[in-house]
Amino acid sequence: MVRAVHYLNQFFAGLGGEEAASTPPTRIEGAVGPGRGLAAALEGVEIVATVACGDDFFAEHEEEALAEILQLVEAEGPELIVAGPAFGSGRYGYACARVVASAGVPGLAAMHEENPGRGAAGAALVVPTGSSVAGMRDALPRMARLASALAAGRELGSPDEDGYLPRGFRRNHLAERTGAERAIELLLAKLAGTTRTEVDAGFDRVEPPAPVTLAAATLALVTEAGCVPQGNPDRLPSIRAAGWLRYELGGETSLATGRYESVHGGFDVTLGNEDPNRLVPLDTVRELEGEGRVGRLHEAFYTTTGNGTPVAASTRFGQEIAEDLRARGVEAVLLSGT
Amino acid sequence: MFVTSLPTIATMIGANRIVRGPAITHPFGLSPEERRRIVERALAMLESDVEPNTVWELEEVSR
Amino acid sequence: MSVLELASFPAELLRVDVSAIDALAGAEDALGGVTVDVVEPGEPVRITHILDAVEPRLRVGGGRTNRIDGVAVLSCVDFPGEERPLHEQEAFVDLAGPGAAFTPFSSLTNVVLTFVPGADARHVELDRSVRRVTLAVAELLAEPTHDAEPRDVERFELGPAADALPAVAALVQLSDLGQLYTVYVDSVPAGEAGLPRAVEPAALLDTAVTCGEYHWAALRNPTLFLQRSSLVRALFQEHGKRLRFAGLVLMRGYEQTAEDKQGAAERAAGLAVELGAGGAIITTDGGGNSHTDTMLTCRACERVGVRTAVIVAEMADPDSTNPGLTDWVPEADCIVSSGNAEELVPAWRPERVLGGDALLDGTSAQEAGPIPVRNYLGATNQTGHLTLRATTW
Repeated sequence: MVRAVHYLNQFFAGLGGEEAASTPPTRIEGAVGPGRGLAAALEGVEIVATVACGDDFFAEHEEEALAEILQLVEAEGPELIVAGPAFGSGRYGYACARVVASAGVPGLAAMHEENPGRGAAGAALVVPTGSSVAGMRDALPRMARLASALAAGRELGSPDEDGYLPRGFRRNHLAERTGAERAIELLLAKLAGTTRTEVDAGFDRVEPPAPVTLAAATLALVTEAGCVPQGNPDRLPSIRAAGWLRYELGGETSLATGRYESVHGGFDVTLGNEDPNRLVPLDTVRELEGEGRVGRLHEAFYTTTGNGTPVAASTRFGQEIAEDLRARGVEAVLLSGT
Repeated sequence: MFVTSLPTIATMIGANRIVRGPAITHPFGLSPEERRRIVERALAMLESDVEPNTVWELEEVSR
Repeated sequence: MSVLELASFPAELLRVDVSAIDALAGAEDALGGVTVDVVEPGEPVRITHILDAVEPRLRVGGGRTNRIDGVAVLSCVDFPGEERPLHEQEAFVDLAGPGAAFTPFSSLTNVVLTFVPGADARHVELDRSVRRVTLAVAELLAEPTHDAEPRDVERFELGPAADALPAVAALVQLSDLGQLYTVYVDSVPAGEAGLPRAVEPAALLDTAVTCGEYHWAALRNPTLFLQRSSLVRALFQEHGKRLRFAGLVLMRGYEQTAEDKQGAAERAAGLAVELGAGGAIITTDGGGNSHTDTMLTCRACERVGVRTAVIVAEMADPDSTNPGLTDWVPEADCIVSSGNAEELVPAWRPERVLGGDALLDGTSAQEAGPIPVRNYLGATNQTGHLTLRATTW
């Protein structure tokens, strides 16, 4: 029997709801909650323990929580790790993804394909599920099937064959038709209104928004140059930033030397630190606001470090910042890149 | 709108309004005067209709 | 528009007259000789240092060209080391083993010409002689078709097509980075052939374009892949049924400046519009910045209302999830994959090696492996000639 550990959040582990979301990592004997249904469907695999962690605890102490979880996992001597299903829950999905990506043994997480945490799984397998717990009865057998295959050491088939979400590895095979025939097929479909592609560049496309009349608009400053208040009070990383920060400007008219700095680890910040306005042109935009060229400068600026950040993460930052800006009525953005 | 000295990366990721800045270490230039010119170019772009992935240089270059 | 008739004759007609081939090679100062080997389908042979593959063809007049089906002439030469071309990459085929599926040669009778460079032969003259002799041998081998009955005759003719059918043009890219890295249009290097230019839709099928490009083994089109072009043949097939084949535009890959690239892309798009095309299939040749020419052409077409499908090979690290596109524009929303050239083919030990015993990097041709798909001749050609593709796992 292959030894497996199951990772769950506080709710599915039976430790409580939102009020238990700050529960630190904890070990429970055998399978609990959905783990029981999972165990019943597994072949050649035994869930020897469950490791649970509160979603808030993981989100607020990510590296510490992950380290503790992995320690608890390792202590069971497992050959397999299973996490979730997290369905549509973003914090839970992210934690599941990080656990299976870092566990050092084969494993899988399960969550809805649009779960924002999915990208953190990297090369690890993710079984797609419905978006809510109503999908539990459907999810467990499919998780069990893939987990059993992993335990048996069987070579994996394609995502469609073996029921997991594509991770991004490109693999060759001989198609039924030539590339030429497929090009004709795809082009005719596109001309008839359905556009499909065999290769995804990984970057989406948006139409350019209509021009704005700036004198009547609110403009915000956003940067990946890693600008932060001097001393980096919120510890924005120099590399592999895990998120973004929003800093109120308090009406300031300049990013003054010595009050702001850049912590970006991907370029020489000497010139930027001599005058941070060189990275985020607050002084200039403030002037233009005063002259009426810009209606209003948004009261905060947004910052992250664009250095070694996985594409999936920075895509998420962009979506989150955009949502925040829209919610606050910002109509235009000046983004600086380094 | 995106001010960067690496416009090919900007177009690859799908940015639509891009102004090429002078350098990685100082995308808005060194002096306040240069900074003003770059910001004004960026604002002008925000107020213009553009084709997707358009890059504007700091000066208009006639073909 | 002229009509091409391709008359196909069976491989049984093949007669390899070694002394006649010797004589052709003997007439070239740059050559020191040639070895001729005939290899049957599926023999456990690896052929290395391949420059080109050509189908035996003979033009007999009246718009008819005879071809011998199931035969390929392969030219191999190991360029002298001192002047080894910069971008040269190993190019071979395996006629059996795991690499056999990546090229069509394992199901053909291959007449392999291994050329010996003449003393003091410079690369440029050597290449010219090899190409001349190879094309002459291809014609020589087709001579017996003169007095034989064809097995079938295909007519490539664009008859009327209903107005309602979508009009599709083929925009075919041909490399030119100087001699040894260039494709020839009626014997003129692509960069000097006035491209982009509309040509007879069946031109490729009648050996109007020949390959003299020796880098990017898997990403190039040996002459035979153009003579048998799956793309052109499929467009003729579909003409009048699901589309109107609006025409064929040849374009140059590796335009040398940003302005040239942009200008050529716009002119190619303009030609597609002139042909009345509502859609275009854009092909690629080679790797590197020719992919930029492809993407700029895609963008230029989309901007003038010609919708596009683009064919490119991928260079994706098999162990990474980074996409393997060399270049991309957001307008390229319909891309056909001709395979991932970076994937490795498991090692295989052939019983015999033709062309040369040592690969370009010095390893033994018999012991080499695993080998990237990148080194198999035409394996990921970007005219969609074969069936290889990559999907996401």
